[in-house]
Amino acid sequence: MPELPIWQFDVLLLILVVVFAVVALSIRNLMGAAVVFGAYSFMMCLIWAGMGAVDVAFTEAAVGAGVSTVFVVSTLYNTGATMQRRTGGLAFKLFIGVVVTVAGAFLLSALPDFPKWGAPDSPVNATVAPYYILNTFEDAHVPNIVTSVLADYRGFDTLLETTVVFIACIAIYSIMRVDNAKLETDEPAIVAAPRYDPSDSLIVRQASRFMVPFMQLFALYVIAHGHYSPGGGFQGGVILGASLILLAISFDLKFLLRQWSEKTLMLLVAAGVFLYAAVGLACVFMGGNYLDYGFLDSVLPGERDMARSHGILLVEIGVGITVMFSMIAIHINLASNGRFDRGL
Amino acid sequence: MEKLITNFNYVIVVILMMIGLWAMLAQKNLIKKCIGMAIFQTGIILFFISIGAKNKAKVPILSKFVVENSSAIIVNDYANPLTQILMLTAIVVGVATLGVGLALAQKIYQQHSSFDEDEILENQRK
Repeated sequence: MPELPIWQFDVLLLILVVVFAVVALSIRNLMGAAVVFGAYSFMMCLIWAGMGAVDVAFTEAAVGAGVSTVFVVSTLYNTGATMQRRTGGLAFKLFIGVVVTVAGAFLLSALPDFPKWGAPDSPVNATVAPYYILNTFEDAHVPNIVTSVLADYRGFDTLLETTVVFIACIAIYSIMRVDNAKLETDEPAIVAAPRYDPSDSLIVRQASRFMVPFMQLFALYVIAHGHYSPGGGFQGGVILGASLILLAISFDLKFLLRQWSEKTLMLLVAAGVFLYAAVGLACVFMGGNYLDYGFLDSVLPGERDMARSHGILLVEIGVGITVMFSMIAIHINLASNGRFDRGL
Repeated sequence: MEKLITNFNYVIVVILMMIGLWAMLAQKNLIKKCIGMAIFQTGIILFFISIGAKNKAKVPILSKFVVENSSAIIVNDYANPLTQILMLTAIVVGVATLGVGLALAQKIYQQHSSFDEDEILENQRK
């Protein structure tokens, strides 16, 4: 038997991940499926951390295991459909099974052509990536290579990804949002009666009251220290959003909306993308290319490489603002049926 | 066969993608379809992270010592940062698209009081 290049621990996790995926799809209790899917995400982020992708693992822990589970749960809470209907159609399922097996066989047939796992001289690792590892500190004064590639070398990519989050937020808003005044005159509100009001629980309220400031402090650290450690705008933004979602769940939606009105939320979602684009535009006015932060050195302190470092911080803040408020806006829409009054 | 063991990651990637595809096609429940979509997506992310991983490599963050004398940087000591950042943004976009999917499912539920595809189709025929 050949020596395994990956840790045995990784093999165990990889098998566990498949088991969790099957379980999440096969249990009929949808609430349970959402929770198992959260566990699946945690296993996934352990695997990624083991392969050296700490930033990705961090994001997955905050997003995949944290916020997306909350989204699924708030959808289920609102509709009250927690059990899946038992469906027949075995012939149909078998047919799909055959289709999927054929697709999988095609993918597996490409396996012998892949370089050995973890080979440093594989085309992916040997062609363009070494440039970033060797030059990131001289160019941008950022030790975390992932941050500098994310916000500087591939800044366009991240700008458009942030725009995608913004557009998704707008899409959800336009799908879900209903006019409360219109709803009251036309028809009685169709809301699942709250079976359990979490805002009654003293323990939940006090515990989250303690946790929220620390979560927010940690999130700010993650954004500000993203140059030197795993983290950045995406992760910090999601954690900031999660802290306010926690407040919305443990108190109630009104409590959150008193501090952040609907208008402010949607304006801030746009403001993050605007900040990112504006930093790019400022570089053009300074005589450089779009998003070439080096040309900001006459405004920002330090030499050219420090200007790039500060430029990265600015756009990370923009990303953080957009991600934070779009997560909150998506949660409020899903949890309150688009009525922005009460919900999970 | 030896490739199958040394490239065990890729086998799991294919299995996860098959599970996700199966869920998207065969499951009748809209929420399960959304979860299937997310599983398919994490399969692809695992693929990218796997091709960027290097044996015995560290996380792609330069240490203080290495930063002070730039000739000391050894490329093979660090995992590939490029594949990682592509996937980092994909995860956040993934949760946004999951949100869109759930919003659509919730709106459908308000119309038909069901997440089940067959029931929705029956309701529409009436």
